[in-house]
Amino acid sequence: MSFVHVTAGAASNPGFVLYSAQGYDSAMVKAFNATHPGFTVTLNDNSTGPLLQQIQAEGSNPKWGALWVDGAAAFAELDKKGMLVKNSVPSVSFNALGSANVPTDKSFTPTGLTVVGALCYDSSQVSAGQVPSTWAQLTETQYQGLGMNDPSQSGPTFPLIAGVMTYLAKYKSGSPAHAVKVGEDYFKSLYQNALVVNATNGVTLGAMASQQISMAIIQSSACYGDILNGSFPTLKVKYLNFSVALPSVIGIDAKQPPIVRKDAKKFVAWVMSRAGQHAMQLGDPQGDSLFWPVIQGEKPSNAIIPSLASTHAITINPYVWGPLESRINTWFDDTIVNG
Amino acid sequence: MATRGLEWGPDVSDVSGAVGLAMTGLTKVFGDKIALSDVSIEIDPGTFLVLLGPSGSGKTTLLRCLAGIERPTSGQIVIGSQVVAGPRVFVEPERRGLAMVFQDYALWPHLSVRKNITFPLLRSALTTSDRDARVNDLLERVGISALADRFPNQLSGGEQQRVALARALAGHAGLILFDEPLSNLDADRREQLRIEIATLTRATGATVVYITHDQSEAFALSDRVGVLNQGRLVQFNTPEVIYRQPANAFVARFTGVAGEFRVESLRPCGENRYEVALPFAPDLRIEAVATEDLGTPREVSLFVRAAGVSLCGADDVGGARGVVVDVAFNGRGYEHVVSVGEGASLSKVFATTRYDRLSPVKVHFDPASCLVMESKGI
Amino acid sequence: MIVETAPLAPPRDGRRRPHASGLAIGAVLTLLIVAPVVSFLLLAVSPRMFQQGPQWFTLRFISGAFSGNTDRGIINSLWVSTLVAVLAVSLATTLAWLIHRTNILGRRVWAVGMWVLLLVPSWMMTLGWTDLLQPFGAANAVGLNTRWLYGEFFGPMGIVIVLTTVALPFAYFIISAGLQGLGPEYEDAARIHGATRWLTLRTVLPMIAPALLSALAISFAETMSDFGVAFTLGYHSHFPLATYTLFAAIDNYPANFSIAAVIATVLILSTVPPIALQSRVMRSRTYAQLSGRTQAPRRREFRPRIRILATAAVAAVFFVALGVPVLGAVVGSFVRNLGTYSPTGVHFTWLYYSQIFHPSISGKSIGAPLLLSNQLGLVVATGTGVLAVVLARRLVATRGGWSQRVTDVFLLGSVAVPGVVLGVGYIFFYNLSFITRDVINIYKTLPLLMLALVASALPGQTRFMAGPVSQIQPSLNEAARVHGAGRFAAWRAASLPLMSRILLWGWLLTFTKTISELAIAQILYPPSQEPASVTIQAYLANFNPGTGTAMTVLTLAEMLGVIVIALGLYRAVTPRGWQRVGWSGVQT
Repeated sequence: MSFVHVTAGAASNPGFVLYSAQGYDSAMVKAFNATHPGFTVTLNDNSTGPLLQQIQAEGSNPKWGALWVDGAAAFAELDKKGMLVKNSVPSVSFNALGSANVPTDKSFTPTGLTVVGALCYDSSQVSAGQVPSTWAQLTETQYQGLGMNDPSQSGPTFPLIAGVMTYLAKYKSGSPAHAVKVGEDYFKSLYQNALVVNATNGVTLGAMASQQISMAIIQSSACYGDILNGSFPTLKVKYLNFSVALPSVIGIDAKQPPIVRKDAKKFVAWVMSRAGQHAMQLGDPQGDSLFWPVIQGEKPSNAIIPSLASTHAITINPYVWGPLESRINTWFDDTIVNG
Repeated sequence: MATRGLEWGPDVSDVSGAVGLAMTGLTKVFGDKIALSDVSIEIDPGTFLVLLGPSGSGKTTLLRCLAGIERPTSGQIVIGSQVVAGPRVFVEPERRGLAMVFQDYALWPHLSVRKNITFPLLRSALTTSDRDARVNDLLERVGISALADRFPNQLSGGEQQRVALARALAGHAGLILFDEPLSNLDADRREQLRIEIATLTRATGATVVYITHDQSEAFALSDRVGVLNQGRLVQFNTPEVIYRQPANAFVARFTGVAGEFRVESLRPCGENRYEVALPFAPDLRIEAVATEDLGTPREVSLFVRAAGVSLCGADDVGGARGVVVDVAFNGRGYEHVVSVGEGASLSKVFATTRYDRLSPVKVHFDPASCLVMESKGI
Repeated sequence: MIVETAPLAPPRDGRRRPHASGLAIGAVLTLLIVAPVVSFLLLAVSPRMFQQGPQWFTLRFISGAFSGNTDRGIINSLWVSTLVAVLAVSLATTLAWLIHRTNILGRRVWAVGMWVLLLVPSWMMTLGWTDLLQPFGAANAVGLNTRWLYGEFFGPMGIVIVLTTVALPFAYFIISAGLQGLGPEYEDAARIHGATRWLTLRTVLPMIAPALLSALAISFAETMSDFGVAFTLGYHSHFPLATYTLFAAIDNYPANFSIAAVIATVLILSTVPPIALQSRVMRSRTYAQLSGRTQAPRRREFRPRIRILATAAVAAVFFVALGVPVLGAVVGSFVRNLGTYSPTGVHFTWLYYSQIFHPSISGKSIGAPLLLSNQLGLVVATGTGVLAVVLARRLVATRGGWSQRVTDVFLLGSVAVPGVVLGVGYIFFYNLSFITRDVINIYKTLPLLMLALVASALPGQTRFMAGPVSQIQPSLNEAARVHGAGRFAAWRAASLPLMSRILLWGWLLTFTKTISELAIAQILYPPSQEPASVTIQAYLANFNPGTGTAMTVLTLAEMLGVIVIALGLYRAVTPRGWQRVGWSGVQT
């Protein structure tokens, strides 16, 4: 039980604190510290919710050096408040979806991609032929009882909703009001079609496993994880006409002193290097490591993961949708969950 | 019980014998309530002082100030030659060299009788064997040797109070305080324990301050009595003087009157003696003693001690007429309540023969036991 | 968490205490509780205070909180808490009467059972029920079909039942203390003057009205602030409770601390009416002082058949309240893929227990977290114990009237503060620039987490101790002083032995509460020092019910083990005289 942070060479270089919710973070931090003796990265691992609460409560006296979570909406908010270091993206060759997720001011870096809106189904309850292929079909009565997560409890779910709104309204830029309306109508019709909402990926999968529902729209890595760890062997994954890319994102705190920001940049650069990406894929083999790389030429860690192209993934603009998260989540809770 | 490094009182074996006590101008105020007002008392070493008064008179407060568990608002207390409380002085209880017997016994329930008694000796210079010898001796003297290894909740009230007494005597304190120790006991135990308190404390020669509201207890035990009322010391003297020459009507009433009657007229008839006329016996002239000057006109009453009233048959010569209201046998004779007029009666009137209820009688008054003083004196 | 064994007795006489110690205590309470909580609550009207919004003063969050889901949450919480309080007190009174005043069998077992019920946190209870009743859950594994019950349970009915079992022990301890002070002479007087049994009961029961009201107030406050049930059962049954809506308000990014602050203020203020009511009734009453002279109450002797029935009824209550969820969790921890349909039928396995020390979620074994939690428990329980004694003595020694009442309200109101509010409040206050720069920089360290945990446990433990402390005769201490002992020596010789048992139980309660505390732990734990409750939660939230439940069962077993060892040590180490006297939680 230690009372203070143990930092090597504390007097000269204090290192920085990484706030991270990623499953591979402790393996990666260990690996980085072992190979970079100049300073130490201290890992503050927690769920996304508490991390963001801490950051928000710390206000103008922040303790975090870098933040690493799934989803870019929080980063867009932080950037708007001027809390992120701009031009902090290391120079690597991103693939198409990777580039699409790099903001114009380069204030945060996508480190990998998962997909939300993957259709997972229990093959012991429904066969492949009985599973829909498009989102429109989900509103049909034969596909009643679809499961999904609650965006106020499940971080990856709001991007899904934003993606649905973007896609269905063909939203490109400008006011998203129309897209929001289209999306709300869509989810209302899902609700009429006996939509079952559970808290998180885990609970939704549990509902499927106990046969309360037969299919659900959740995050890809959760499905692949359950298949690989043997807890749900009959689970299968299918992609509909579109899905939503959910980047894991890392950003650096602009309020830290220069030396700390420099350290953080070194870490980010390492994460995006071949060694770092490799470590990411090994750190949580049945969980977060089941991602698609954003770097050209890199392949996913496991053969079970199909090509990125087959997911028809689209990107949402976090600067547009981030501010709407609270409102839309509340609408969802009031209308769909507690309606 | 370990005593290492703890702050305890002075070495009790150093207290060689009794100490004198002097309180000057002692006052204690609680918020807006004056519990003690300018009380001054001085007694010699070895005196048995009883503070007598009704509840709320301040006697408990005074005792607690002596003990150090209450801090006086002003005034000074000197125990022996040590100023223990004063304007810039306050000595903690454990350093005053006292002992105390509480009304609720205050025996520590987790300690055996023996251990309770040994407590005051734990920091003394006595060797263990001397200590044990002293405790055994005390157990013997107080008559509780058989109970030595019992715990307080296994003892009766009287036994617990005996243990408390033994504990108070254990340390050979120069000043022992008693807080109405007999008030929670049954009547038969009370008498017995009172005698033990009297004999045992006098045997040690310690100075004693004892508080009670029971007048007979006070008179039986004391060398000096201080009567308190509403926080003030009303009279301080020997029991005899207090009884025979009470300072005012309050003291008279509190020390036991058979009857109190408003006086219609009075006429001096000697040094400190007056002849009074009573409303219920206009022809009767009763001689009474006055303890103060009654020159200026004010409301005056006659206070009659029970010892000064005698009963005889209705056809006797002289005396006031009366009717027996109640009669009670008390072993040695009979105590009567006699009605002598409208709303006027005498109680505790003793006679060796019995006069039945409702029988007419004559009542005679002995001047030595009749007191005349201002009615409202407090 | 509060447990009261008897309400506060009025002081014997007023004594002016030196001001210095009063200021010191005020400073401690301010730093521990008031400053962090007020920091959070201020955001209800002044978000700019901690950079949470542009306004220095606004009322829009107050109106915002009373609309939509949050409004429903507040209303639901109010009526559920009232209902639960009434149910818990009724049940507790019946149980207390049966255990203390009749001859039912196994009285000591039931008294101990109440303690165990007190120690098990509500989220563990709900986990047990969920594991048991869910489709392909533990009940299913042993061949019972509970499908019909599942739907009912995940609704207001289940919420009320579980919350009642959580509130039950609090109510029970207060009421049984009240009953024990009620001598048989009052019943005798009524019976002699011709009252029937029922009329006697109605005549005598109001004499323990202070205890009943106190129990109602505590049960209400505890239920209002409960988070475990609100988060699991409440969410699943679409029955929002105020604590859940508070959590939901801050679980998005950006978090809406201001709405949360309004809800928290409502929670705290909701405890004022019960306390005011209790205070009003208490003013004219005094409490029976426990002394050696109180007669032992007589027991109602049931005939054999009634005796068996009554015992069975009590056993049934304990079975439902405690046995079922514990069994659910224990059995569930052995079922392979609990909650999952398995075509090959039910399998029992040791798998999850073997996994708990070997990480399945990268790096998260239960070993180090459980050790850390125990260490935290040790430090926090000891620190809280010392502070609680000082505070309780002060509470009892102050001259009655308004200052005691204010402290009473403060302590009960503090119970209604949800853990997450306290935790985030600690960040607001202890991360203020001028504090971290110029005063002390302990944010994100273990000492800060410990302070927050002490703050969370202190109000409850103080109230727990104040009752028994007030019943210690002051003359025992005075006698020690007069006969030569200094202040501390007198306390050690005269008061400590009488308080030793209550100190021990208070310590154990805080120890177990610290280990199972989740909200504060989650928001304040320092990097790489994750307590066990957080680890368990990670497993449960990620659909690893087997491992999560196994870890929970292990933690519970370990907590109970510590209790047994502590009690044994107490018995072995303390003088025989200490064990004879004073307050005994398992007195029957």
